[in-house]
Amino acid sequence: MKALLSNSHLVLLTRVFLGLLFVISSLEKIVDPASFAHSISNYKLLPTWLPMTAATILPWLELFCGFALLSGIFIRGSALLLSAMLIAFTLAVISGLLRGLDISCGCFTQDPAAGKIGWMKVLQNSSLIVLSLFLYHSNANRFTLFSYVERTSREDGQPS
Amino acid sequence: MNRFREALREASTLLVVAAAMGFIYTAATEKGVFARTVPTVPATGPGANTPQMISGDEVWSLFQTGSALFIDSRHDFDFKAGHIKGAVNLPLKDFDFAKSPLKDVLRDQLLVVYCDGAECNSSIELAVELMKKGFKNVRISFGGWREWVEANHPTEKTP
Repeated sequence: MKALLSNSHLVLLTRVFLGLLFVISSLEKIVDPASFAHSISNYKLLPTWLPMTAATILPWLELFCGFALLSGIFIRGSALLLSAMLIAFTLAVISGLLRGLDISCGCFTQDPAAGKIGWMKVLQNSSLIVLSLFLYHSNANRFTLFSYVERTSREDGQPS
Repeated sequence: MNRFREALREASTLLVVAAAMGFIYTAATEKGVFARTVPTVPATGPGANTPQMISGDEVWSLFQTGSALFIDSRHDFDFKAGHIKGAVNLPLKDFDFAKSPLKDVLRDQLLVVYCDGAECNSSIELAVELMKKGFKNVRISFGGWREWVEANHPTEKTP
C-alpha cells in the first residue's frame, strides 16, 4: 500500500484523471448555474434558498480543485474537498434512490438525456471517492508545479 | 493530524476563492442568484421562446375579457366555413407576415392561435413564427376549433 501511495506515476495519472474530469464537468455548471440549482433542488433535500447558493459556489470549487490537482498545488486540500463533495453527492443520490425519485443526476452534465440517477451512479461516485482519498493519502510530490519550480531554481543556482 | 490540518487550510483557501469567484461571476453575468427575474421557461435551449399551450377554459376566459386577438391557422376555406368570432385567418400554408394584418399590430398584443383540434400542428408552428416576428405573448389553444364548437361558444362565417 505504501508503495502504491508513493508511486509518482500512479499519483500523477490519478491527478490528471480527476483533475480533467472536474475541470470539464464544472464548465457547464459555471455557465448555467440556474440549471444546476434546478438539478440540486430536484433532490428535495435542501431549503429553497440553498440550491442557488450551492450552484454558485460548487462549480467553481470543482474547477479550482481540478486545476489544483492538475498543477499539483494544494493536492491534499483539493483531494479532501473533492472527497467531501463526492460523499455528499453520493449520499444525495442514494437518498434519492431510496425515496424513489425519478430525477436526472445533474452530476457531470445538466443534460437530462444523460440519464436518471441509479445505483450505477453510486458505484461510479464511490470509485471517484476512492481515487480522491487515495490522492489525499498519497505522498508522491513529483510532477507538481512546486517540484518543478524547486528543480529549476536549484539548477539555476548551480554554477555552470 | 498535522497533515489533516494542512489539508484543511488548503481546502478553506480553495473554498474562499471559489465562493468569491462564483459570486463575482454570477453578479457580472447576472446569472443564478443575481438573475433579474426567475425565468419560468429556460432562457436558452429547447424550451426557450416556446409559446404556451392553454386549455379550453383559459381560451374562453380570454375571449370573454376581449384582451386577446384570435388567430386561425387553418386553410382559408375552413376559416370561411366557420371560425371563432372575431378571429383573423392566417393560414400557415401561405404565411406571409409582410402582407398579413398582424404586421401593424403591437408586439405585446396577446395572441391566441388555434387550428382544427388537438391533433393539428399548424397552430404551434404559426405561434413559433409569430414569436420570431417579435410577438411576446402568444398562446396556443390546445383543443382548437373543435373544442370551441363543442362548447357552443360564439362562431361566425365569412360570406
